[in-house]
Amino acid sequence: MRNNARSLLLLLLLLAAALLVGCGKHTESPTASSTAASGGKQITVCLLPKKKGLAYFTSCADGAQQAAKELGDVNLIYDGPTDGAPEKAASLIETWTLKGADAICVSPNDPSVLAPAMKAARAKGAHVLTWDADGQPDSRDYFVNQATSEQIGGALVDAMAKDLGGAQPTGKVAIVTATLTAANQNEWIAMMKERLKKYPQMQLVAIKPCNEDQSVAFQVTQDLMKAYPDLKGVFGISSVSFPGAAEAVKQAGKTGQVLVTGLSTPNAMKAYVQDGTVKSVILWNTQDLGYLTVYAAEALATGKLKPGATTFKAGRLGEKKIQGDNILLGNILVFTKDNIGKYDF
Amino acid sequence: MKLPRGLPGRQELVLLGLLIGLLLLAGRLAPDFLTARAQIELSTHVWELALLALPMTLIILTAGIDLSVGSTMALCAVVFGLTFHAGWPVALDAALALAVGAAAGALNGVFVAFVRVHPLIVTLATLAAYRGIAEGISLGVPYSGFPPSFAFLGQGSVGGIPVPGLLFLVALAAVAVIVKFTPLGLTLSAIGYNETASRFSGLAVTRIKLWLYTGSGLTAGVAALLFAARRNTAKADIGTGMELDVITAVVLGGTSIFGGRGTLLGTVLGVLLIHETREFVSWEWSRDELNLIVTGSLLLVSVLADSLLSPKKR
Repeated sequence: MRNNARSLLLLLLLLAAALLVGCGKHTESPTASSTAASGGKQITVCLLPKKKGLAYFTSCADGAQQAAKELGDVNLIYDGPTDGAPEKAASLIETWTLKGADAICVSPNDPSVLAPAMKAARAKGAHVLTWDADGQPDSRDYFVNQATSEQIGGALVDAMAKDLGGAQPTGKVAIVTATLTAANQNEWIAMMKERLKKYPQMQLVAIKPCNEDQSVAFQVTQDLMKAYPDLKGVFGISSVSFPGAAEAVKQAGKTGQVLVTGLSTPNAMKAYVQDGTVKSVILWNTQDLGYLTVYAAEALATGKLKPGATTFKAGRLGEKKIQGDNILLGNILVFTKDNIGKYDF
Repeated sequence: MKLPRGLPGRQELVLLGLLIGLLLLAGRLAPDFLTARAQIELSTHVWELALLALPMTLIILTAGIDLSVGSTMALCAVVFGLTFHAGWPVALDAALALAVGAAAGALNGVFVAFVRVHPLIVTLATLAAYRGIAEGISLGVPYSGFPPSFAFLGQGSVGGIPVPGLLFLVALAAVAVIVKFTPLGLTLSAIGYNETASRFSGLAVTRIKLWLYTGSGLTAGVAALLFAARRNTAKADIGTGMELDVITAVVLGGTSIFGGRGTLLGTVLGVLLIHETREFVSWEWSRDELNLIVTGSLLLVSVLADSLLSPKKR
C-alpha cells in the first residue's frame, strides 16, 4: 500500500515536472528573441491595465499590439491584475523595473498606491507613462489622455439630453460610478455637474458606486428605480456599471421609460442599443488609445519624443498634439443604432 | 499527531521537491530571476502574507480559521491613516493601529472561545464588518504622505535584508521556539484533534483560543503598517482577499484544515512556493490569469500527494 502510494506520488511529481518543462519549452522562442532583442536595440514596453480581462482593456491591448507590430522594434508585454488589486499592479511595476523594461505604461487603479513603484521605476531609468487614467504628475513622464474630462462629461450629459428629447429635457437622473475614489470618474462627474447647469430641468438625484462589479451595478440600479419611481435616466460611467445598469432597466421592463447612457465598448452594449434600452454609447476609440500609448512609449524610449515637444507623429493616427505633459488622443465617439454595427471591439 | 522531530515530513519533502523543480526551471529560463538582487526586491511582495501565515497556522491547528485578517488589515490601516491625518505623532498612530488590530482579533476570540460560535461564522461576519467599518470611517479616502522614518519600516533594509523580512524572521523564530519548547504546540494539536477531550484533560482551551485570535488580529495590524509603509498609502480596500492567500499557503504547507496536524516548516515552504511561483509566472510569462491556475493546481497536487501518502485516511 505504502509502496503503491509512493510510486503514484513519484509519477505525479514527474508529471508536474514534465508540465513545467513543457511550459518552459513552449515559451523558449520568445525568451530567446527578447534576449537577442535587447542586444539589437529592441525596446521593451510594458502595458498595465487597471484590470486585465475587461473587454475595454483587451481592445486597448489589441491596438497596442498593432502599434508594436508596425514599429518592429517593440517587445510588448501586456499584463495586469485580473482582480484589479492596486497592490498587485504595483508589484508588477516593480518586477518589470527589475527586468529592465524601457517603458512602463500604467493605467493606475489607485494613483497613491502605485506612485512609489512608478517613481522607483523612473529613478532606475525606465520611462513611465500613464494612459487611460492619470497618476500623480511626478510619478510619470507623460499622460496619454484619451479625451479631456470636460469632453467626456459634456458628451455624456449632452447625449442624455438629446435622448430625453425636447427643447428643455426634463427629469430625474442618477449616476452609477465605478468607485467613490476612482479619479477619472470623479473628474467626469464634476464636469457632468458643470454641464448639467445648461439643462436646468434635468435633476441629478444620486451618485452610487458599483465597485467595478457588474452585479453590484445591476443591484444599485434596481434600488435607484425603487427609490425614485419617476427616474428618467441613468448614467453608467464605467465599462462595468453601464451594462449592469442597462440590464437592470431591461429586466424591470422599463426599456424606453428609463434611458441609460454611459461609457462602454460598443460590443458590450450592442444588444441594448438594438432593443432601445440605450440610445447612445459614449467612448473614444480604445484601440487607438492603446496604439497611441505604445507609439508614445517607443518615441520616448528612443529619444524621438523630447521634453517640450508640442506634437509627435503616431503612425496611422498622424500628428498628435501634446499639451504640457498630456498627449491627446482627443476625439469622442458616440455610438448609436445607426453606426454601432460598424465597430467591432 | 505530527510534530517536527528534526526531520521534515512527507508534505514538506513534496513542497521542497516542487520548490527545487521550480527554481531549476527558473534558472534555465530566466537566470536574472534567480539573482540575489531580484530575489530580495521581489521578496518585498510576500512579507505581509508570510507574517499572517504564522498565527493562521496555529489557528488552523486548533481546527479554527480566521477569515477576517484582510479586513482587520484594512481597519488598522485606516485607523493609522486617520490619526496620522489628524496630526498625531506617527508612533502613537502606529500603536493605536496595533491596539485596534489586537482588539479586533480579541473580539473574534471572545466569540469563538467564550460564546463558542464556529470560527468560520464569527470571522465571516467580522470579515464583512471590519471592512465595512474601515470604509465607513475613512469614506474611501486614501491617506498618504507618511514620514521617511515610517516608510523605512516597509522600504528600508538592514544588512541587505528588508526590514519586513527581519520582522518576519524574528516572529518565526519566536513562534517556533514557543511551539517547540513549551507544551503549547502539543496543546494546539490536541485541541484540533479533539476539543472536548482537551477540555476534560484540563487544557486551557478557552484562554488559548482567545490569545490565538488576538495574536492574529495584532499580526494583521503589523501587516497593515508594513503595507502602509511600503506603498505610502493607508486605505480601506487593502488586504482584500488576503485571507484566502494566507489560508492557501498554510494548507499548501500541509496543515490539515480539520486541525491537529501541521508544521511551521510546512507553512514557510508553502508561502515560499506560492511566492516564487507567482513571481516567476509574472516574470516569465506576464500572465496574471495563469497565476491563478498555477496556484490552484499547486494546492490540488500537493493535497493529492499528501492524501495518497497518508498512512490512514482522515
